[in-house]
Amino acid sequence: MSMLASEPVKVAEESVFRRVLLLIARHRMLSVTVLLLVFPLFMPYTSLAINILVLGLYAVGFNLMFGYAGALSFGHAAFLGMGAYGCGIAFVKFGIPWLPSIGIGVLVATALAFVMGYLAIRTRGIYFAMVTLALSQLVYYTVFQARTWTGGDDGLRGVNLAKINLVGFEFNFLNPTVRYYVIGAFVLFALWLLSRILESPFGAVLEGLRENEARARACGYDVSRARLIAFTLSGMFCGLAGALYALHLSIVPIETLHYTMSGLAVMMAILGGMGTFFGPFVGAATILLIEDLVSLWTVHWQLFVGAIFIVFVLFFPKGIWGSLLERLRL
Amino acid sequence: MKSEKKTIAGISRRNLLASAAAVAALPVLPSMPYITRAAAQDTGPIKIGFPVPLTGPFATEAQDQVRAAQLAVKEFNDAGGANGRQCELLVRDDKLNPGEAATRTLELIEKDNAHFICGTLSAAVQLSVNNVTKARGVIYVSISQSDKISEASDASPVTFHEAVNPHLMSSAVARYAVGKFGKKAVCLVSDYAYGHENLRGFQRAGQPLGLEILADLRHPLGQTDYSTFLPRIAALKPEILFLANFGADLVNSVKQATDFGLKDRMKIVCPTLLYTSRIAGGDEAFEGIAGAAPFYWGIEDKIPSAKTFNDKFKAAYGGRYPSDYGAMGYSGIRQILDAVKIAKTTETKAVAAAIRALKYDYYKGPQYYRACDQQSVQSVFVLESKTKNKRNQYDVFDVVVTEAPDEKRLRTCEELGHKT
Repeated sequence: MSMLASEPVKVAEESVFRRVLLLIARHRMLSVTVLLLVFPLFMPYTSLAINILVLGLYAVGFNLMFGYAGALSFGHAAFLGMGAYGCGIAFVKFGIPWLPSIGIGVLVATALAFVMGYLAIRTRGIYFAMVTLALSQLVYYTVFQARTWTGGDDGLRGVNLAKINLVGFEFNFLNPTVRYYVIGAFVLFALWLLSRILESPFGAVLEGLRENEARARACGYDVSRARLIAFTLSGMFCGLAGALYALHLSIVPIETLHYTMSGLAVMMAILGGMGTFFGPFVGAATILLIEDLVSLWTVHWQLFVGAIFIVFVLFFPKGIWGSLLERLRL
Repeated sequence: MKSEKKTIAGISRRNLLASAAAVAALPVLPSMPYITRAAAQDTGPIKIGFPVPLTGPFATEAQDQVRAAQLAVKEFNDAGGANGRQCELLVRDDKLNPGEAATRTLELIEKDNAHFICGTLSAAVQLSVNNVTKARGVIYVSISQSDKISEASDASPVTFHEAVNPHLMSSAVARYAVGKFGKKAVCLVSDYAYGHENLRGFQRAGQPLGLEILADLRHPLGQTDYSTFLPRIAALKPEILFLANFGADLVNSVKQATDFGLKDRMKIVCPTLLYTSRIAGGDEAFEGIAGAAPFYWGIEDKIPSAKTFNDKFKAAYGGRYPSDYGAMGYSGIRQILDAVKIAKTTETKAVAAAIRALKYDYYKGPQYYRACDQQSVQSVFVLESKTKNKRNQYDVFDVVVTEAPDEKRLRTCEELGHKT
């Protein structure tokens, strides 16, 4: 009886915090929308906010495979990169307008994800990571050597989008604020789509696979096919992130395809909280923001970023967002 | 994570509607006051953004670039600035990454309202910075090597290439070495833009002199073990070995070639013989190696501006000698500030016109910009590494050739795709 009596008091104490977090967790899309609208206000500069949006989407796309389907891929840079190069080459070399160019970037990345997935999906665990890494390195070297199309190690330049026409209005895409909200709209759409996918029966199958693959198979689910679909969708989201990245920076550096970029996605997802909807975004914002601020202050920024990362991994094993969600339920 | 499913409800129709309404409200936002930022003003301090790779393999050179740039800024400010306007140098770490460099350049232009950008230390990074600045009509003075930046695809009225380029450097080496040491050469080429551009320059300048390339062997950037290449090179019996690789790769390949005994059988030359690499590699490894350089402090014996620059640099930094890339940083900043003084404004068109018209001699003899591609026409020095008769521990080269500035040594405007 005494325990029951003390309960309401505790709830009252943390009710505001609880309510806000519950609200965010419950109304994913509404919260994301509000957050995206005010996000640049809290950032040192708008272009960094755009980087966080784009790489956040990249990490969210990666998390579909890593956090929800439970397979660690080390080759997602290939999808980010091919989305960027697909969009960039369509725009620069073929003079295709920006909107269809984004579409082409997404298509190229999705197709590549399907092919890579087809080749890699039957492997598990560390072997899956190695096969995806090897395949993405193949993509890296192919793009590196195809100088006439991609610019090789000089990178692809000239993805210069100055003016865009939207619903009858002309916007100056060089203006960082316009660029932020245009790119933000795409990211928002992608997040909504992802939210739908995760809520669908297919999303449930993915989580089932992650928790107990043998049982999922025994229940009659085609495990390979579900994983291949998840991998392809994951590549699609990363490809969109790549296409937006190309338009934002107006260049596509060969580094977008480098394996360190794949590693970045893993770090963002783990730091933010794998298997949570917002986690990778929180991770992306944390990493990019810390890197940006600390490197302004000291050339030894890697030391500090590394230390902060270790602290988070040690004390927030479920990631920043994951730990917050967990505390919410205490 | 399983339990998250319980608390996170699916997205409801109401949420969807709210989201849609919010998205529809997006175009209204740009008119909100907090986002409208002032563009670079023609009053207040003169701001020059300076993205360089303070971390990564070229950190040593980059830190020297910063030192030299700060020296130019200090000189300008001590002399009273331009009409009382002082200069502010905004140093940023580009991490030797084109994406990071582009983001930092956007920050410098969009947030800090930098009037000018100068800096970088890699072909790819400068091309990315240049792409950002030229789209926004901001003057960019590049202080690292690239052939590409002069080509019509990348050049622009606001792009100035102060640094030397691979074509100029490798052809100077060819003119020095081919004939003098023999005509048969093997090229060991780092397989990226720097290596390819240098190979092309060496080949083209060497051909009229009877150069015969027995083989060009490619190695990936960052190769540490050259043992597979060395026996092949020895078997081909060349008279010249041309090493088109940079920084740590150069130091590693030179050391291993020395250990393998290649030096007794052939002359080793390289297109960019860096002062910092030479110091890092040491006497034994670099003995007998020749190469080109945009600057070496030892030219001060013959060139008065070099002496002035060296003395100022040493006085400011405790007796330290400036490196080649540092010197280019000094020149890059100083020409912008001189142009601002001449133009009496920071307005882009006027300053760009003033830079174009400059005939300057800051650290290495006379220089000027070629009209078509805005490449700085300048002297190049061919150096022989020396191990004996040194004046001090920093005296590591003999200047054997001074190639005076000459447009004819650059690729022609037509070849670069410029209309004449």
